[in-house]
Amino acid sequence: MSSPRLFPTQEVGSIAKPRWLLQGLKGQAPTPEALQELKRWRERTSFVPEHDPRLKKLEKGEIEEVGAHGLRDLGALFGLRYLETAGLDLVYDGEARRVEMYEFPIRQMTGFELSGHVRSFDNKYYLKGASVGPVGLVAPYHLDEYEFLRKEARRQLKVPVTGAYTLADWSWNEYYLGKQKGWKGRKARRAAQRELLVDIARHAIRPTLKALIDRGASVLQIDEPAAGTHPDEAELVVEAFNESTEGLDAKFVMHICFSDYRCLFPALLEAKRCRQFLWEFANRDTPEKDGYRDLELFMEFQDDREIGLGVTDIHRDVLESPELIRDRILRASKILGDPSRIYVNPDCGLRTRSLDVAWEKLTRMVRGADLARAAIGK
Amino acid sequence: MSSVNLGLTSSFPRSEALVSATRDLDRGRRGAEEVQALFDQETSRVIALEAKLGFSTVSGGDLQRQDLFRPFSDSTPGLEVGPLTRWFETNTFFRQPIVHAPPQWAPGAFARQLPLERLLETRLPPRVILPGPYTFVNLADNRTDLTPAELGRRWSELLALEVHDLAAHGVRAVQIQEPSLVVRPPSVDEEAWVRGIYDPLASALSEVDSLLWTFFGDGAPILPLLASLPVDTVGVDLADTDPALLTDLPTGKGLGLGCLDSRTTLLEDPQEIARIVREVNARLQPSEILLGPGAPLELVPWGVAERKLGVLPQVRDLLEGIPAGSRSTGEGAQASAGDGSGGSSTPSNRARGSARTSAGSSSSDRSRPRSAKGKSSRPKAKGGSR
Repeated sequence: MSSPRLFPTQEVGSIAKPRWLLQGLKGQAPTPEALQELKRWRERTSFVPEHDPRLKKLEKGEIEEVGAHGLRDLGALFGLRYLETAGLDLVYDGEARRVEMYEFPIRQMTGFELSGHVRSFDNKYYLKGASVGPVGLVAPYHLDEYEFLRKEARRQLKVPVTGAYTLADWSWNEYYLGKQKGWKGRKARRAAQRELLVDIARHAIRPTLKALIDRGASVLQIDEPAAGTHPDEAELVVEAFNESTEGLDAKFVMHICFSDYRCLFPALLEAKRCRQFLWEFANRDTPEKDGYRDLELFMEFQDDREIGLGVTDIHRDVLESPELIRDRILRASKILGDPSRIYVNPDCGLRTRSLDVAWEKLTRMVRGADLARAAIGK
Repeated sequence: MSSVNLGLTSSFPRSEALVSATRDLDRGRRGAEEVQALFDQETSRVIALEAKLGFSTVSGGDLQRQDLFRPFSDSTPGLEVGPLTRWFETNTFFRQPIVHAPPQWAPGAFARQLPLERLLETRLPPRVILPGPYTFVNLADNRTDLTPAELGRRWSELLALEVHDLAAHGVRAVQIQEPSLVVRPPSVDEEAWVRGIYDPLASALSEVDSLLWTFFGDGAPILPLLASLPVDTVGVDLADTDPALLTDLPTGKGLGLGCLDSRTTLLEDPQEIARIVREVNARLQPSEILLGPGAPLELVPWGVAERKLGVLPQVRDLLEGIPAGSRSTGEGAQASAGDGSGGSSTPSNRARGSARTSAGSSSSDRSRPRSAKGKSSRPKAKGGSR
């Protein structure tokens, strides 16, 4: 599905949840600050009409009347309109209904238990699960959110789904590792991990992707942030992707970030149903170092797939100018030799930035893509 | 059989209470004093566990440390706290130290961040973890004109001052963390400069019990280099090292075996560990065998970590031919403070919830601390020390 214009812009996944949504989901009436935020973003994005009864109730603090379902719908509408109004060509809902990218899908599967918090860094933690039995699926997930968005969206939807490799890598592997005989060294761990990720791919991700496609989803993004964690597991990343997408027909995008991309080559080329590699680059682009040089890998290995080009750093509040974004796009175009392969996006989900900062980053990104188009003359 | 010591050779995970408190602290919902009190309390719990399990040293688990380098990059002139960087092959991250100028020692800055008062309350020698010079050079962003060898030596000079200072504070055992030595090992040509960067540390390390610990990589090919460094004991991570390939340990050197795998919540089999230890001991005849976690135990939750540590006394009982449950006296009778109540472990045991550890404890003999060099031996730790 080629886009009609050069440098289509797209989101990657999550944005921060607004305060009124977080407070509402806890059963709390919105604070004055949350109401102010609601008003400001409603004026900017028109995500909900002024006469909507849910809005009136929310403003009055009648949270029970709005209900969790109503709140989540409003949250999804907000995320969708926020991204559309920012000017993106491919959108979703900022993952408004999801807890986060690991815990939510794990909770939809059988064979896992959430076991406890592990530190990610500093005072940040994540809840980690353990595989304690064969992987199964309670029911395909993300369907309700997709069907809701399909009715509401004014732009092309791209559905993010956490990949099997990442879900396996971020879990402890008790069931499959326990089946390995003898000392649980690297070889045993690797074999058990392969079993786990293949089962996740076959029994949970593939049925979910199929159900989404059956409902009309045509662009699906498989998120594999863990892909570069183990430099010698590139084949497993690819196996997880191929198992997940086997027999399915849609445009599949693979999102990888904060990784040493070189270690994934040439294995990654075997991800045959992947039409676009959406990667983080801006974070590694400094005045001293060209963060886009890894694009040369595609030339080196003669791969001509689309590139989702990360042009906005999601870890810093520093706002990239549209001119800097234009230059990054043009630099990538020069390396790849074909600007029509490039989609423009943030490095990753923007949920760690405030809504204000994310907005500025996204609108500057859209302007940067406009400038790049103008520079190329299309 | 060489003498077998046990130890917490890594950081320990934060409890769920600490997870909640530190999150609240970041969100401004709890005050620093309240959170500090909880850190103190939980550190005391770890120390009590170490004593209970019959470990030869206490560390307190480094609960408050944000990452291996942070206490130094926060306070060392010449260093700056840099960007989040993946901590080897894990889903955890550290702040990369940025070196702007040759690092200068900040007297007492590191010691002030340690729970020394609590550690010294026990009768076991405190052991403190330091970032090794090779790993520092390997992971830091060096923006100075110093060559890697020069920066490594500079770091060792700083560590030497630190070791002197720690010894003056009563610290009698020092553990140098060197994961990069096995993850990104030096080439044969580079081994000389690796030995060279340790030269400035040699004198200081001779004043304390010194341990060099490697993890996340295969220690077997590099064991001769590790053993040539000026430390008493060198440790390898058995999750990534085939013990059958460990050879060439010089006489008089101790060997650390990281026999608890922090990358799985499965509980290790004490019988299997004991079998490996016997084989390694027969082949290498180390002066001492130290058993502990390989990679940092904070990669699993508190309860799992506690149960995994409870395997170690069982291994030692097996090595010493003592039937499970027959040695224990006093408080050491139950290895896992939470929910363990006896029973044997198998490889398929799950350490997260209901898995139980068999009795393992600190008898008077095995909890006797090693005497630090140049220091008078402290009184041996009795079973009742807490």
